[in-house]
Amino acid sequence: MAIPLLICDDSAMARKQVKRSLPEGWDVDVTMATNGKEGLEAIREGKGEMVFLDLTMPELDGYGVLDAVKTEGLKAIIIVISADIQPEARDRVQKLGALEFIKKPIDGKKLSDVLNKYGLL
Amino acid sequence: MNESLALTEDQRDCLQEVVNVAMGQAGDSLARFLEVFIHLSVPRIRLVSKDQLGVELEALVGGDGISVSGVSQGFFHVEDGKGIRGEAIVVFADTSFKELADLLAYDEGELNNETEKELLLDVTNVLNGACLNGIGEQIETELAYSPPSIIAQHVPIKELLAHEKLSWDHALLVEISYTLEDRSFNCTMFLLMPGESIIVVKAALDKLLEDL
Repeated sequence: MAIPLLICDDSAMARKQVKRSLPEGWDVDVTMATNGKEGLEAIREGKGEMVFLDLTMPELDGYGVLDAVKTEGLKAIIIVISADIQPEARDRVQKLGALEFIKKPIDGKKLSDVLNKYGLL
Repeated sequence: MNESLALTEDQRDCLQEVVNVAMGQAGDSLARFLEVFIHLSVPRIRLVSKDQLGVELEALVGGDGISVSGVSQGFFHVEDGKGIRGEAIVVFADTSFKELADLLAYDEGELNNETEKELLLDVTNVLNGACLNGIGEQIETELAYSPPSIIAQHVPIKELLAHEKLSWDHALLVEISYTLEDRSFNCTMFLLMPGESIIVVKAALDKLLEDL
């Protein structure tokens, strides 16, 4: 069965870049969210068993989404894809439960490597 | 307003993401330089006219009549001078100096006009270098830049660029804000790209969008 995959980023270009970088033949059902609030809503609705999450977003940022997912005990595997490459940003999101951090602009090979590393493909 | 200068929704989104990536690199450089965590926010983009520039700057930095110091650095396309060019301007609220001096281990007694200049230039170099390289990499254009120079110290934000000779009517203004967590330090970087440069920027963005 297709995995519900949520791509959450305020930039249309970034969302397209992520979508284009998805491994070929990966059976996913993609939902797009344009800010953290929309993204969190989609996760609550079960549309984000896997989430590719940006950090710097209006309404609710990526940290807020991670925090809410943790607090509400929602089931989601979250990979952060962000331009904020400060080592501390990576530490913080991992403490908040993100599985991995991938820097922007996204590289398809890197994404596949990460998914493989965790046996998600 | 010249219609041909206005960005389409796709171009604006694309530029915002390009700037976002560059901001991340600049934020990381500043974080390493100051040994702190930098809070980043979504960059803002405006098309401004010359007479509205002061008002726009004030609105973006926030705070009525806030007093600031500013440093400017010109940037341009290396090859032929016909490509992208503009100014990268870093604006510091006066209230940020004590924090900045503190972070860089200056004693309070050492803080005077000259040491403030040093601080301004150091931080500007760190931010602009990383940010302009980051933008250049993404649009595949090597950007060179002139040494930074102080525009003014301790002036109302509205008047920061009032005495500069601006040779354009409209310019693209990009605002990037860097805030320190738990401290009162904030600085804002503005990229100001005049009229004919906007056309070049738009073409570069279209190329990125085509490749999507």
